Amino acid sequence: MSILKAQQIEKHFNDGRETIAVLKGIDFEAQRGEIVALEGPSGSGKTTFLSILGCILTPTNGGLVIDGQRVDPKRLPAIRKKSLGFVFQQFNLFPSLTAVENVEYALNVKGFGGTKARTEAERVIEAVGLGDRRNFLPRDLSGGQKQRVAIARALAGNAPILLADEPTANLDSQVGGQVLDMFRGLAKEENRALVIVTHDPKVRTIADRVVRIHDGRLAA
Amino acid sequence: MVDLATKSLLHDKLRFLITVSGVAFAVTLVFVQVGLFLGLMDNASLTIEHLDADLWVTSHNTPNIDFAHTFPDMAVHRVRSIPGVERADNLIVWFMNVNLPTGAVEGTEVYALEDFDRWNFPWRLSSGNREDLRRGNYFILDDSAKKRWGQFEVGEYREILGTRLKIIGRSLDAKSFTTTPLTFLDYRLAQRLNPSQLQGNTTYILVKLAPGADAGAVRAEIKRRLPYNDVFTKSEWASRSRRYWVDSTGLGLNMYLTVFLGCLVGIVVVAQTLYTSTMEHIREFGTVKAIGGGNADIYLILGKQATIAAVAGFALGALMAYAIRPLIYKIDLKLVIPTQLSIAVFIGAVVLCLAAAMISFRKVAAIDPALVFRT
Repeated sequence: MSILKAQQIEKHFNDGRETIAVLKGIDFEAQRGEIVALEGPSGSGKTTFLSILGCILTPTNGGLVIDGQRVDPKRLPAIRKKSLGFVFQQFNLFPSLTAVENVEYALNVKGFGGTKARTEAERVIEAVGLGDRRNFLPRDLSGGQKQRVAIARALAGNAPILLADEPTANLDSQVGGQVLDMFRGLAKEENRALVIVTHDPKVRTIADRVVRIHDGRLAA
Repeated sequence: MVDLATKSLLHDKLRFLITVSGVAFAVTLVFVQVGLFLGLMDNASLTIEHLDADLWVTSHNTPNIDFAHTFPDMAVHRVRSIPGVERADNLIVWFMNVNLPTGAVEGTEVYALEDFDRWNFPWRLSSGNREDLRRGNYFILDDSAKKRWGQFEVGEYREILGTRLKIIGRSLDAKSFTTTPLTFLDYRLAQRLNPSQLQGNTTYILVKLAPGADAGAVRAEIKRRLPYNDVFTKSEWASRSRRYWVDSTGLGLNMYLTVFLGCLVGIVVVAQTLYTSTMEHIREFGTVKAIGGGNADIYLILGKQATIAAVAGFALGALMAYAIRPLIYKIDLKLVIPTQLSIAVFIGAVVLCLAAAMISFRKVAAIDPALVFRT
């Protein structure tokens, strides 16, 4: 059974004068342990689609099924807490929190507290290879290290679906490659579904499947 | 639990300092303004509070202790004969002119009793004996007079309404709202000094009730026997004296206005810095929403930050107010900061800071978590 299923997703935006159809009926599935690269030119609707998969935007038509359950648009924050982990292009770390605190805070928001949250945060920070940088503030970390913290934050809490938006866009080629290899390894090891929106051709090399969006539709 | 609110607030130390300074400024302003007001009000009824009288008989419509009007002093006998009255004495409170050795003419507010000791008045003496006042042309002068009269020593003479009187003692802390120095002298001497207005007259009758006496009944009987006078309990008379200055001088309005402005400045500073901070951290709040947090999580962060700013601002503001207090005493003013005022200012600071955070709440409620995908 698919862990993530999108059915006939349409998304329209109204700019006040006209309605623009950004997504025009997309069907999509991802399995546990599968890595899917979502490619497409700028303005093709990749990020909008990722936002819908991440329960951040609601589709105009169509629906999502996560782990066999139809997604109720009124419960999106609860679904994000339980089932989804995000990695952003800009990292979006909290600058006042250390690496391990960034992860622990995300766990707190997800409902984990006390020692359990701290232990889990330590575990994933170790897993991304930042054990010796756990108490560093984001300003004291390199771009690649920041993205590893962001990946650790997404991995923490055992969300079955990980969504990443251009995770290598702000990293140089070598560091980007290392981060992707690590991300792939951890996602596979922990049997998570990973959907990566990207322009980066390197992502193709770690993906099990590549899906192209063009003009709001999945390309053949 | 990771305390994002505190860590984020302290992360930008300069902004935190500005926020706390805004609150501290407002708190200091409120403490100083209300404290000065209370100090002045304290002076307005200080002598009433320290005279051990349960009831005060005044001439009709006397507005406050300082602006006394005369009535025949024989009325005291009618009061003394009322059952339940342990003792009743005349008290003259009157402004008189004083010729200073420098040639300058100053004013004094005279308190004249037949037996100062019986009323334990003046209540603090640094030198001299109250009983000696009835033994000649003597007076006790309050220490605060040195500001307007210049330095003085016990044993020196001053001329009050053309009569040389010897200073036989020095009292402490006896002040009036008018800031005119207080002098204490014998009742008959006061009448001799100003016979045209005071001979055969008094300005007040002090009444001490017998133990177990019914104050209401005694008061009603005094009113029946002296229909052209007013009778007040100690607290009523003190309150009437204070209220006069609040209402007639605009002092109350001035205090409320300054307190309002202080609070306004504080709330604007806090609201502005919190709002700017919220706008700068909007992406972080978007991230909180994206990872599953709701508006409540963010309200909690902002609420906690506002509360921390309020508590720190209150502490700093209170510290500044207490630091200013000795300076204010040096210019013969009092800064009264009762516990109730401190509690009220603390609660006010927290409530106003939370109110200031409400502006940010509205912004946060509208955050679209999709902004985390924007570059």
